[in-house]
Amino acid sequence: MRTTNLLQSYINNHNSPNIQQYQSDKVSRDFDVHRELANRTFIKPLPSNGKLIHTTIMDYPAEIQKDIKYDMKAFVHAIKGEANDHELGRLNDVAMKFGGLVLAAYLFTVKQTPKTKLFEFIGFGTFFAAMDLWPKLFIQLPAQLLHGFNVRQKYEDNYGRKKMFFQDHQFIPWDLYSDKEINDIGDRLNIPKNIPNRRNAIQEKMRQIALQNNTLWMLTAGFATPLMSALMCNLVEKPVNKFTDSRMDKFANKLLSNFKNEVEKYDFSKQRAELDKLLKDNTNKPITKELRKAIFENLSDGLDKVVADALEKDLGFLLPTDKSYKISDSSITNIQNTVREVFKQSKLPENIIERIIPKAEALTERFTSTGLLNGTYEELSEHSKAIQDILFKNIEELTPELDANQQKLVKFHARRLIHSPQLNQDAPLFKTLKFEPAETLSASTIRTLETVADKLNTFKAENSVLNRYAFIKVAQAPETGLANIWNHMSDEMFKAMKFTKDEIRMARIDNEIASKILREKMESIVADKNSYGKFITKMGELLSSLHSRTVPLDTSQERNMYSSIVNSSCDTAANTLFGKGMKYTASAIAGVMDDNGNLISPRTSAKHVMLTYVDDRIKGVKSSFYRFLNLADLYYRVAHLEGETINRSIPREVKEEMVELAKTVTLEGHTADFAVKFWQLRNPEAKLDDISQIEVQNGKVINKYLGVGEHSTVEFSNDRHYFDAVMKLMYGDNLHPDTVQKLENSGFWGDFKKYRQDVLEILGGEKYFAKPNHLVNGIERASSSEERFLLTGSAPADMAYKAFHNMFNSGKWFSAFGKLGAGLVGVTLLAQFFIGRNKNPWKKEAKQ
Amino acid sequence: MILPISNFRENRNLTFKSEQKEKSGTGSAYDEDTLLTNNFATRTRIGLDKLAKAFSIYPAKGIKGSINSNFYEFLTLGQNVPFIIGSITLISIFNSVNKHFSHNALKKAAKLGNKMALGVLLYALTKEASKVLTTKPIQMLTGIDTEIPYAKVNYFIQEHPNDFDDLTSIEYHKVGESVDFPRWDLLYGDPKKGEARNFRYDKIAQKNGLGTNLNDSDQDVKPVYKEVLVKSKIAKSFSSFLWAVTAVALAFQKPWEDYFNAATLKFWKGKDFLHSLKVLGRSFVRSCKSLYNGTSSAKSPLIKHAGKTLLGLTALTTILGVVNSVHMTKKPQNYNNNVIDPKKESVVC
Repeated sequence: MRTTNLLQSYINNHNSPNIQQYQSDKVSRDFDVHRELANRTFIKPLPSNGKLIHTTIMDYPAEIQKDIKYDMKAFVHAIKGEANDHELGRLNDVAMKFGGLVLAAYLFTVKQTPKTKLFEFIGFGTFFAAMDLWPKLFIQLPAQLLHGFNVRQKYEDNYGRKKMFFQDHQFIPWDLYSDKEINDIGDRLNIPKNIPNRRNAIQEKMRQIALQNNTLWMLTAGFATPLMSALMCNLVEKPVNKFTDSRMDKFANKLLSNFKNEVEKYDFSKQRAELDKLLKDNTNKPITKELRKAIFENLSDGLDKVVADALEKDLGFLLPTDKSYKISDSSITNIQNTVREVFKQSKLPENIIERIIPKAEALTERFTSTGLLNGTYEELSEHSKAIQDILFKNIEELTPELDANQQKLVKFHARRLIHSPQLNQDAPLFKTLKFEPAETLSASTIRTLETVADKLNTFKAENSVLNRYAFIKVAQAPETGLANIWNHMSDEMFKAMKFTKDEIRMARIDNEIASKILREKMESIVADKNSYGKFITKMGELLSSLHSRTVPLDTSQERNMYSSIVNSSCDTAANTLFGKGMKYTASAIAGVMDDNGNLISPRTSAKHVMLTYVDDRIKGVKSSFYRFLNLADLYYRVAHLEGETINRSIPREVKEEMVELAKTVTLEGHTADFAVKFWQLRNPEAKLDDISQIEVQNGKVINKYLGVGEHSTVEFSNDRHYFDAVMKLMYGDNLHPDTVQKLENSGFWGDFKKYRQDVLEILGGEKYFAKPNHLVNGIERASSSEERFLLTGSAPADMAYKAFHNMFNSGKWFSAFGKLGAGLVGVTLLAQFFIGRNKNPWKKEAKQ
Repeated sequence: MILPISNFRENRNLTFKSEQKEKSGTGSAYDEDTLLTNNFATRTRIGLDKLAKAFSIYPAKGIKGSINSNFYEFLTLGQNVPFIIGSITLISIFNSVNKHFSHNALKKAAKLGNKMALGVLLYALTKEASKVLTTKPIQMLTGIDTEIPYAKVNYFIQEHPNDFDDLTSIEYHKVGESVDFPRWDLLYGDPKKGEARNFRYDKIAQKNGLGTNLNDSDQDVKPVYKEVLVKSKIAKSFSSFLWAVTAVALAFQKPWEDYFNAATLKFWKGKDFLHSLKVLGRSFVRSCKSLYNGTSSAKSPLIKHAGKTLLGLTALTTILGVVNSVHMTKKPQNYNNNVIDPKKESVVC
């Protein structure tokens, strides 16, 4: 076999005894490397053009660019079938990352909210970042600090391919390290300077250390990568939240500032073209129910149910289908067909059925003689009667030939022909007679419908943009502007209260426990003026931010862009539609109108819903946090025995009951508690002669009577003053001067005071049939249940219970995986001290 | 660095033979590099061997800094240990602390946790299983099996003067593992076994229309073989990763929640177990439909057809990969098996 192997060729050519063979003198003590190398027969490899890669963070962009270029070339090579192992190896990594990116992109489309969408890519990024960072930070860096060289050193080979220096331990290109570099590393590794073959000894030590570190990397990467990725995701969650919130807020604002362009993005041309075709196809043709339904479906697509129902009603007037009908020669055949169809179900022989069916001539003759043919008829009973006469005559003639059963069948189906099986539905015979409505789709009706369609399409587009704006800003859904504000405020508020881990662990078990723990915490805060001051300042900051974010949404403000666009959009649509006779639709959009199109009341309209939806959502959120502030102030006033009601001269036992009730209601009360005027069991034999002040210690009331001793308790349904006093203690008394001093200059202060006044008057003025006189100041105030619900807001105990849950869950996760991560880092770092401690050959030699 | 073998003093011979083979004579170990049959049993045996060693011998050798630790061991370690531990950790991150949560939070967290666990499992399974979608069609169309395994006998260096016993290890590679250096030698037939020397190359040549009864089919086939090898590798990489992510996308479909509610591995509870399997099948079918149909209420076509796009991209990548692999450009330019007319007399110098 012919060979082109150079080595083989060399041996063949140089095996002649005439040529001097290189004789290595291995036993020679004075081995001269220069003499050996000068020997021309010494076969040595070509000098390497490879180099070690020393990159800093500044080189990364250039390196990344270079790598991308390399990978792209490699891809082309691979497609052509010309790639090498290194290129294919890199492309496998590219495929893995490409796969990850595709998955992130898919999940991005599936997820609903901006943050969860973004986190699909963040998760992908952190996972691959963790894969790269873990060995760099916790293996390479400590190893370099301890052993003095990079165990993950990279080099570029002769062909410019980047590889790990210590990747293959049986092929390490040591020649890329200069003697000086190796000796410096050897010094760092404490390898004696006077040993023979020092370079080899250093290299072997480096190899060992690198191998041990590579193994450590492989053993820890499985734990570290997902863990580090998850922890990184957790770390970036808040900044990402802030980013998406601000981005969505700007996006929503842009929807209004760029309203016209946004509206134009909605394309109704397809819908409009379908309508045009429908109208064109049916021009001057009878208006059937089917046609009206098709027109309605086209126009109502995209409208809400209320407006759509109103539109259907209006179309009923514009496109009447049951006003009058045409009866012509074709009707005769239709009548015969209908009779045939009904009687076919009787399964009577066909010849009998044919004899029952009224003959065309008979029908024509009868209709013509009575003037019932070839005309337009509003009333069809005469036609029906004529048909029945002929039909029953036929049946009568036939009867002698039929058996009893057949007679019954014939009578039954004859009745089916003229009786409807369902209410408000025509009998088959009437359906046939009404087959051809007399009203046709005229050109003027078509013009009206076209105008209506254009206006409704514009309204739908405007409505969609406005709804999108309202959703992003205030909807009760994850990651809307208001939801983000709520989460932020709730987190920060409870963080400021500094709950311990045990408190959080206990509080998340049950609502009542959460309430108790919150109360204890609040009492301890209010007991100390400083801590109350700090807490109330924090509350002030949070409420100020809430106020500043929600003020631009307040639709009662004159310059509110949302309300002005809603008003203009709805009013314009309503006016146009009203002008085209669509008064029900116009009312459903803008409000109830009189016959001249003047607005009587905007309530129940789409416009009203659009405006109040935003207001109500903001009101509910504000009330919840104002309630918390009010609770803090109430507890503070009680803790320091300040305020009008608390200093009133009333029996101590009653005052104890009253304070306890006020504290509980502000903490836990719901709308129903206010509605039933606070159902409380009290002592009917309270000591009325003790009018001393209640005792307070560390923010808590030390009860002298309440809950002390055994006595029966009852609900006082006649003590109307008690309800009045409790309401005033909570919402009527002046706020504590310390609270006022801290917050009176805040932007929300006026709004907060109004909230207190509203609660006092509206919740306190609600009439309860069982206790009709339990009213604040004896004044009844009419209000809707929705209004009362929004004013009550979320109970602080409920808010805390949810917050404790979140705190516990994230705390538990962090505690478990934080510890695991810390342990892993510890073990990995500690392992570095045991690496490179293998027996050293030179020591053995030294001993010998 | 190669250390000197210094056992001569003890007057003992080194053994480069597996003890196992000597004892059992079963042929489970090899004296020389041996081509293996590419079938399910062999692949399973190799997989298990690699898995067992990746968790035992290789890390032990690596952590000691053994001189005999090589790139194969590092690769085997890297292909098994981080993936398995990583999968368990990932599943654990999304599931292990859920039990401490309240009922509602647990339900919510378990939904995601279960889907994540299923996703991890399906990723691993599909990544491996989907490789046949490229390798098998390529084999059927070109006759080139890019996955033929062989057992490589690896010789150790004595780490200690007392190391006399088996100084070999068996590594499992593939003939086409390296496109730069495919093990052409292993593809030659063994005349001692009555095999024609080029019989494997002949088959490939015939299958790809290079001709029959070629004098040196190996020379003609090698460039083609290498081309297919390179192209199949890129096709396999992209295709298998895309199938794996499609499987994860499938795992994240809502209908799986039915299965998670009914899932049980208690096979001894026959009725429950059977019901669980039934729900598994049903959930799988529904999830496939859900992935394909996407969110019907979505307005954006990208969101509406995301599942179809993903499935289409994955299938298209596989098909294009296979088509590109079987499209050979490295065939000999003017191959003609009748260069030497067998009917005419010719003289070979």
